[in-house]
This record gives sequence, C-alpha cells and structure tokens, in this order.
Amino acid sequence: MSENCIISTKNLNLWYHEKHALESVSMRIPKKKVTALIGPSGCGKSTLLRCFNRLNDLIDHVKITGEITLDSEDIQGPGTDVVTLRKKIGMVFQKPNPFPKSIYENVAYGPRVHGVRDKAELDKIVEQSLRHAAIWDEVKERLNDSALGLSGGQQQRLCIARTLAVEPEVILMDEPCSALDPIATAKIENLIERLKEDYTVIIVTHNMQQAARVSDYTGFMYLGKLIECGKTGQIFEHPKEELTENYITGRFG
Amino acid sequence: MKFTKKTGSATTASPGTARLSFLKEQSIKTVFFFTAFFAVTVVTFILLFLLRDGYPIVVQVGLPAFLLGIDWAPTAVVPLYGILPLIVGTLLVTIGAMVFAVPLSIGCAIYLSELASPRTKKILKPAVELLAGIPSVVYGFFGLIVLTNFIRVSFAIPTGETWLAASVLLGIMALPTIISVSEDAISSVPHEYKEGSLAIGATRWQTISRVLVPAALSGIAAAVILGIGRVVGETMAVLMVAGNAAIIPDPIWNILSPLRTLTATLGIEMGEVSVGSEHYSALFGITVVLLVITLIINLSAVAILRHLKEGRAHGPARKPLISSATKESLARFAEIIGIVLLLIFLLAAAPWWLAVLVLLVAGTWYFGRDRLTRNHIQTLAFGLVGLATVIVLAILVIILQDIVMHGLPALSWEFLTQPPKDLGRAGGIFPAIAGTLYLVMGAIAIALPLGVGAAIYLVEYTREGCITRLIRTGVDLLNGTPSIVFGLFGFAFIVLYLNVGVSLLAGQVTLALMVLPTVIRTTEESLKNIPQSLREGSLALGATRWQTISRVVLPPAVPGIVTGAILSIGRAAGETAPIMFTAVVFSSRFLPTSELQPVMALPYHLFILATNVPGASTNKYGTALVLLLLVIGFYSVAIFVRTHFQNKIRG
Ligand SMILES: Nc1ncnc2c1ncn2[C@@H]1O[C@H](COP(=O)(O)OP(=O)(O)OP(=O)(O)O)[C@@H](O)[C@H]1O
Ligand SMILES: [Mg+2]
Repeated sequence: MSENCIISTKNLNLWYHEKHALESVSMRIPKKKVTALIGPSGCGKSTLLRCFNRLNDLIDHVKITGEITLDSEDIQGPGTDVVTLRKKIGMVFQKPNPFPKSIYENVAYGPRVHGVRDKAELDKIVEQSLRHAAIWDEVKERLNDSALGLSGGQQQRLCIARTLAVEPEVILMDEPCSALDPIATAKIENLIERLKEDYTVIIVTHNMQQAARVSDYTGFMYLGKLIECGKTGQIFEHPKEELTENYITGRFG
Repeated sequence: MKFTKKTGSATTASPGTARLSFLKEQSIKTVFFFTAFFAVTVVTFILLFLLRDGYPIVVQVGLPAFLLGIDWAPTAVVPLYGILPLIVGTLLVTIGAMVFAVPLSIGCAIYLSELASPRTKKILKPAVELLAGIPSVVYGFFGLIVLTNFIRVSFAIPTGETWLAASVLLGIMALPTIISVSEDAISSVPHEYKEGSLAIGATRWQTISRVLVPAALSGIAAAVILGIGRVVGETMAVLMVAGNAAIIPDPIWNILSPLRTLTATLGIEMGEVSVGSEHYSALFGITVVLLVITLIINLSAVAILRHLKEGRAHGPARKPLISSATKESLARFAEIIGIVLLLIFLLAAAPWWLAVLVLLVAGTWYFGRDRLTRNHIQTLAFGLVGLATVIVLAILVIILQDIVMHGLPALSWEFLTQPPKDLGRAGGIFPAIAGTLYLVMGAIAIALPLGVGAAIYLVEYTREGCITRLIRTGVDLLNGTPSIVFGLFGFAFIVLYLNVGVSLLAGQVTLALMVLPTVIRTTEESLKNIPQSLREGSLALGATRWQTISRVVLPPAVPGIVTGAILSIGRAAGETAPIMFTAVVFSSRFLPTSELQPVMALPYHLFILATNVPGASTNKYGTALVLLLLVIGFYSVAIFVRTHFQNKIRG
C-alpha cells in the first residue's frame, strides 16, 4: 500500500482490564478508499474501529499503547482534542441510533453543535446530507416527525446522513447492515460506493460478499491480531496466510 | 433404574388428597388476594371517613365559600372558614421550594450520572440517601433554630419564620427525591445516544444538554412532580418554620412574609379542636382538599414513570409521550414565562443589588455567548454542575454537623435511660426511645405480613389486568398520601370510631398503613428479580404454586424483603404527624403496660421541646441526635443488607 494513507497505526495494543484485545496492530488506511475489516466474532474489529475516534475513552479500565496517526498527526496522546478528532472521523454504528428528536433535528444536530446557527444554512445542510444518504425522497414530507418512527433501514441511512452533515474526512462503519434486510443493505452498499469519491470509509462486516463487493482494501483480524491486509482482490483470491484462506473459504474452527 | 415402576406417596395421590391440596392452594390464594386488596380497602376507607367528617362544613358554608373564602378564622366570635389563604400558602411554599431545589437537584443528578467517577459516586449516593433519611421533625428543628435565625439576621427582620424559610427547608427535603429519580432517568438514557452524539464531535456538555437531558426529560419531570408531592404533603417541618399566619402575602411575592399551609393548619389545630364541631369538620374538609391535590400530583408522576418503563421495555422505537415539536414549543413557552416572571419579580420585589446582579449575568451571557468557545461553555457548565453538587453536600454537612456538635454533650447514660423531668428540660428520654421502638415494631409486625402477602399476590398469582391495576392504583394512592392524612384518619377511625382511644395500638396501626406501600413495593421488586426459570423448574417437577413460592421463590427474596422492612421501620421511626393525634403523650414517667395506653415518642418529644418548651436547649439537641442516629442506624442496616446480598447474588 504505497498510496497516501490517512490513518495509520503502529504497534497498537489494547487491554480491557486483563484482556489483551488488540495485539500490536500495525495498519495503514488509504485515503478516499473503502477498507473492510473482517474476522471472526470477538477478534477486535469494533475495538480497533473505536480506537480511531477514541470512543474507547468512554469505557473504564482501558489501557492503550502504541501509535495512531491521522494525517501523520498523533491522535492517541493526551494532548489530542478528541472533539475535533471526532468531527473529522464520523461513525455509523451497528444498531441505528437516531436521537429521540425529529428527523430534521437529527441531521441538524451535528452542524448545530459545531456552531452553525443560520436557519437557511442548516436547511441546506440537512437537505444535502439527506440527499447524499439517499433518503431525502422518503422523508422530505415528514422532516418534523420523530426519527424513531422510521424503519430500521431508513434509520440507518438517517444516521449516515447525520454523520455526513458534519463533513468528516473518514467514516467508520461498524457492521452497518447487520440489522437490515437485503434491499436496505443494497441501498447502503450503493451509498458506500458513492461515498468513496469524497470520503475515506472503513467498514466492519461479517459478510464476505459484502466486503468483496464494496471494498478496495481488506484487513483480516484474528484473536486481536491483524493477520493480513492488502488489496481486496488479492486477499480474496491469493491470501498469503493460511488462516485468512481458511476463514474466507469458510473452513474455520 | 426403572422409573416407571417407582410409585410412592410423593408421586401418586388419591383423589381425596388431591382435592384437599387443591382446596389448600385455593384458600392460600384467597388469603393473598385479600391482603392485596387491603390497600384498596384502606384508601376507600380513608376517603369515606374524611368525606364523612368533612361534609358538614361544605353544607354549612357552601363549597365556593369554603374553597375561595379569604379568611381563615375558625376560633373567632363569628368563625370564618375560608381556606384560600391556606391553599395559596401551600402553593407559594411549593413554588419557592422548587425554585430552590430543581436547579440544585438537576445539577447534582447530572454530576452523579455523567461526571462522577465510580469512586466519587460510591460516596455521593449514600450521602444523598442520608439526606432522604433525616426525619422531617429534625429538619424542622434545624430550620427553626438555625435557618430562621440566619434569615432573621441577614434580612434584619423581627422573625425569620417566613415563606422563604419554609421554601428553603422544604426545598432541601425535596432534594433527595428529585436527585435520585432524575439521576436514574439520565443514567437510563440508552448508551447509543451518547456514543452517537460524541462520535459526531459534540462535546460532553453538548451531549449532556442536547441529547441526554432532553431524552430524560419525562423522567426528570416525574422527579420534579414527586418532589412537589413531598413538599405539599410535608407537615412538621413547614409548621415549625413558616410562621403560620393564615394570610396571603402582601404583596404576593413578599418572600419574607409568614404564611400557613394546608398541612400546617391540620398539625396545629387538630389537637385543640372539639370533636364534631364546625371547626373539626372544616379541618377534615381541608384534609380532603389536601388529599385530592396530592393524589393528582402523585398519580401523574406514577403515570409518567410507568409510561417510561414500558417504553424502555418495548425498545426505543416507541413514540415519545409528547412529540418533539410540541416539546420544543412547550420549552420555548416555559422559557418566555420564566423570563417574564423573573423580570416582574426583579422590578417589583427584589432588592436592587440582586436585580443588577441578575441583569448583569444575563447580559454578559447573552452578548458574550458567541465569543465563548464551546470548551469554555463546557468548563462553565461543569463548574456550575459541580457547584450544585458541592452545595447539596454542604447542606448535608451543615445539618449533621450542627446536630452532632450540639447534641453530643447531651448524650449520657442517664439521658438514655432516665425518664424526663421538668417538662423535658432535665432528665432523659428513655420512655420516648422505648415508645418509638414499640411503635415501629408494632407497625412492621402489622405491615409486613399484609405487604408481603399483597406483593406475592401481585407478582405470583395474577397476570396484569383490571384487578392488579386497581390494586396497584390503591398502593400508589396510599404511597402518595401525606402522613398527616394518615394521622387524621387514624384519629377519626381508630381512636374515635372504633373507640380504641389515643394509644400505642392506634399509633401502630396508623404507622403500619403509612409504610404498607413501601413494604409492598420492595417485596414486589425482590420477587420480580427472581428468575422465571427457577419457578418453571419447580413447577415442572410437579410442585404446586404455593410449594414453589414458599420453597423456591421466597428464600432468595428474603434479603430484599428484609431491606424493605428495615427501610419502613426507619421511615416510621422518624414520623410525627401520624402519631401526633393517635398515640403519643408528651411526658410520661413510665412505659405503657398495655397496647391501649398512650406512649412517648422521640419525634413528638423533639417537636414539643423545640416549639413549646423554652430553655431545653441541650436536651433538644440530644433528642434530635438520638432520633437521627436511630433512623440513620436503621437505614444503614438496610443499605448494608442490600449491598451485601446484592454482591453475593452477583457472585
Ligand atoms: N467493554 C469491554 N470490556 C471488556 N472486554 C471487552 C469490552 N468490549 C469488548 N471486549 C472484548 O474484546 C474482544 C474484542 O471485542 P470486539 O467488540 O472488538 O470484537 P468484534 O471483532 O467487534 O466482534 P463482533 O464481530 O462480534 O462485533 C472481545 O473478546 C470482547 O469480549
Ligand atoms: Mg463488533
């Protein structure tokens, strides 16, 4: 991976209490590409993802060593402004988590907290983000309804719109389709396809076809270690490691 | 092994014994049903008796004149029975208490749920519980001696017994309720909302103020309503510090005016009124009004909380109680009203320096807001939230310190073991300690079987339906009934109607009715915590309902039930209003020899010493300290039992 990379980790280790959840992970995430993280349940994919936007800070008794950089700047040290960091690195969660507010307020929330007050500008951002997340047509008539009244797939796209509204550089997605049906999943996959024109996307998925379909690069994790990472085609067709091959072909455990 | 061949008395039963055990099961169920229905019966009885005794006054003066008459002068030559000043008094005290308590409580709740480290939390939560455990007569005593004095000196007025004093004191008493319920509401906002907001790059304060608190708003509203219920129903503390002049403050915002609440009127006049007179009936009329107000308050809080709980159980997809659009316009409306009220108050009533200060702060905020970065705002907000917490703690420390410092010198072996002399100025308080113990032991002996029976019926024998809803409503109503109402009911029903007389027994029964809802609630909780699989396991082996309950369900629930019982004992030990007219005498050298004699009791003794006996300073404090230690002792044991067994269950 010689292309210019946006996030990179070096010898990243993470412990929950005694549990060693990440073991010297060194990885480079290329800019404006889709990178997929795959691996069996409990191998540390979510943990790694949450290191990138420092969401692990919320959990007590977490210890982290090693280095993570965003645009060659360290984001792991205590001097990092996590708020600015999280503005640059958005996240979409496994379970759609719209706030118990109206659809409009959900999307406007991000710009508002970052200081946008002008109503016209907010309206514009909301519309753009909803359009970008391919949900505008479904909700434009009911922007003031509660977001909790949307279907799961709509909620997830709303959450993506909410993330887009703050114009991050990187979007982290932790199994964004696992709660959705095939149609909603297809919509989100198309969306990801378009997102990489402007954004760097890192997506965790359990679905091999999905990883193969949407990603440019793939990393395979196992028991807290990054076993292998490279171009998606190479990983799926000629994996270097036997573990990777076993996992991808389903001969596992 | 051949299971098929194994026959024994345990597995085969003749039709006769089967019929017998069926009868037994049915009768057990019936007994439990009656214990559960008891709460409904009591509520009905209370209402009937109060209405019966209050009705004549309405006939006499007419409902409008009673409710809206502006003169309360029941002992004048031409008696006047208008309770408007009392209603206004109750209203004003409540508003004042909420102005004081709501910002402090919400600040403290935010600190507890979002900012405090687990270790700080471990210290702070018991401190708040301690605040809840202080008996109201001890609050009243502290208010009378320290708070009114402070107000008298700082405002240079002849007496500090004012609306202000009452509101501050009752505000303090409402703190623990509002704090713990709002803290619970904020903590139970789904974690995903918090992560979602932080992941967008909101600061912690933005997350708290724009996502967590709005999401917890209904819970916080319920907390405030419960706090209001507590304030409206409080008797002893308000009676001791409000000045009790039955007037409407002039001008209406004069917070240094004395006033009188509905409850205080009952506390003051019930002891001196002749039974069956117009005045007597008027007091029962007041009780009915009070009961109706508190019932509305409590039922609405319960309704909100129940709605929330169900919403949580059904997942976040349920629509919120009020739509977000209405919520916003409501908030804006409240904001405008608040600002207008504040302005009126500042222009008309407040001392000039306060007005200038408030305007200055508001102006700085309004114009400086845009220049502050959100990190500054966060620092400021966290500072205020921390300040609120510190103030709450400081209040606790000041009260405890005052009572302990002044009370310790009074404590001696003699004080604890001798009867009082010279109207309590000298001698000890042994009969009062013993009397209080008699009262609470009797009360729990009555309430425990009834309460546990009711809880077993509600949890184990029924599905949710009409009957359980009726019973639950009865329990909720009982729970929200002010203690003075129990006192009056005990007096009218047990003392007079049943002709038991002022006696230990009457006091025990009255206190038992008061703590019954607590016992039912805590027992229900602990029964619900027993996993369903245990019951199914037992029933699948062919055990009957009652065998399952008595051998499998109840044993692990015992610690929870015991905790509830001890909490009830602590609560009962500190109450004055329910026993004031049913069970106590002020001074007696001897312990009662039968259930039908009156007793001394610590809270009542303290009340009389503080209000009617000049020059008993040391013994007052000594009594307050003993009462405080007794009640806190019960609460600590309860908390210990709870945490000890919780840890055990968790492994
Ligand atoms: N808050 C926590 N405290 C303690 N251990 C944790 C915590 N969160 C995760 N772990 C542990 O860390 C390991 C990695 O968890 P992680 O959630 O990153 O796995 P994952 O690869 O995302 O799995 P899945 O595919 O099931 O989502 C797991 O063994 C998990 O048990
Ligand atoms: Mg995961």
